[in-house]
Amino acid sequence: MIQTIKLVYSNFKYVVLASTIFVPMMIGLLILSEYIFLEPYVVAHLPSGSELGFVLIVIISALSALVIPMNIFRIKILKSSKQKMGGGIFGSIIGAASGVCSCGPIGFAVISTFGSVGAAATAFLTNYEIPLRIIAIVILAVTYFTTIKSLKVECNLNH
Amino acid sequence: MNKKGVIVGVIVVAIIAGITASYSSSQTETLNLDMGRTHGTISTAMGSPILGDPSAPITIVEFGDYQCEQCYAWFHETKPAIVRDYIDTGKVNLVFVDLAFLGKDSIPASMATYCAEDQEMYWEYHDLLYNSQESIDGGWANSERLKAFAYSLGLDFELFESCLDSEKYSKRVQYNIQQAKDNGIRGTPGFFIVGPDGQQKIGGAQPFLVFKNVLDSMI
Repeated sequence: MIQTIKLVYSNFKYVVLASTIFVPMMIGLLILSEYIFLEPYVVAHLPSGSELGFVLIVIISALSALVIPMNIFRIKILKSSKQKMGGGIFGSIIGAASGVCSCGPIGFAVISTFGSVGAAATAFLTNYEIPLRIIAIVILAVTYFTTIKSLKVECNLNH
Repeated sequence: MNKKGVIVGVIVVAIIAGITASYSSSQTETLNLDMGRTHGTISTAMGSPILGDPSAPITIVEFGDYQCEQCYAWFHETKPAIVRDYIDTGKVNLVFVDLAFLGKDSIPASMATYCAEDQEMYWEYHDLLYNSQESIDGGWANSERLKAFAYSLGLDFELFESCLDSEKYSKRVQYNIQQAKDNGIRGTPGFFIVGPDGQQKIGGAQPFLVFKNVLDSMI
């Protein structure tokens, strides 16, 4: 497993790509989930009871930053299929969408635009925020392990 | 002649009763509403009663939804310190204006608070809603539960029920939602801190420290 990670991230371009995914995704999600505020002052705030949500955002961002570059490596270097890439992106989208559509500007925009359908979708994403984020983590973890496995086979790392 | 007299008498009594009824119902509304009340750019005429000293130099206008979990977080995490340090000391007062948009139970919950206000229990009912919040449209703020809350506070149940069922305060809540939109509020909770020299917008359930900095700079 470490061999595979080393293989991908020995190329500095993939380290940069992983950082480019991790930092904006985590900060963006923390802003949208109201852990970070930009106005009138830049403030980070972790209300009691929301620690789990915070940890899940960090895990989703980290897994997305790990899995997506590995799949790009597979596609680019090994000319493999894009199938596993879909899992990583799907997991990232689920993780990102859950919770951020709450009472904030995104939820308000969705409900204002789509009316009762938007309200129902927002309510679902808000009410099941934690389970959805856990599902996203599971999808990303499965994608990670299948990617590792296929890289091992395709690169003949065991030989 | 007698018959005519009776008919005229009945008509006169009916007219007097009608005038009295319409006068007394408009009196109820007038008692609750100061139609000219504004804070900064916001018309708070249809909002909540003022919490704290009405003559305080600074007003916090809170836009909120009773089903919003961030509003719940602000209510429990930040508001108690603001009440303790600024509202109870007479430096600041607070007005709640409804931005009820999250689900089908949001507007009835807002209407219910004004039905409680009819019985001078607005803030007690408001606090009870935020202490009872569960998932969006999960049934905790449906009509039956809203009535049960009124019952638990010892309100005149029949009066409250007829107020809620008749949607007496529907337009009042809609007016408040429009005020939020007109003032650029795009989510809950949203705040305007209105002082003698202007107003400052604060978006989201921000910590006490942020409110303290803004309030201290205005005092």
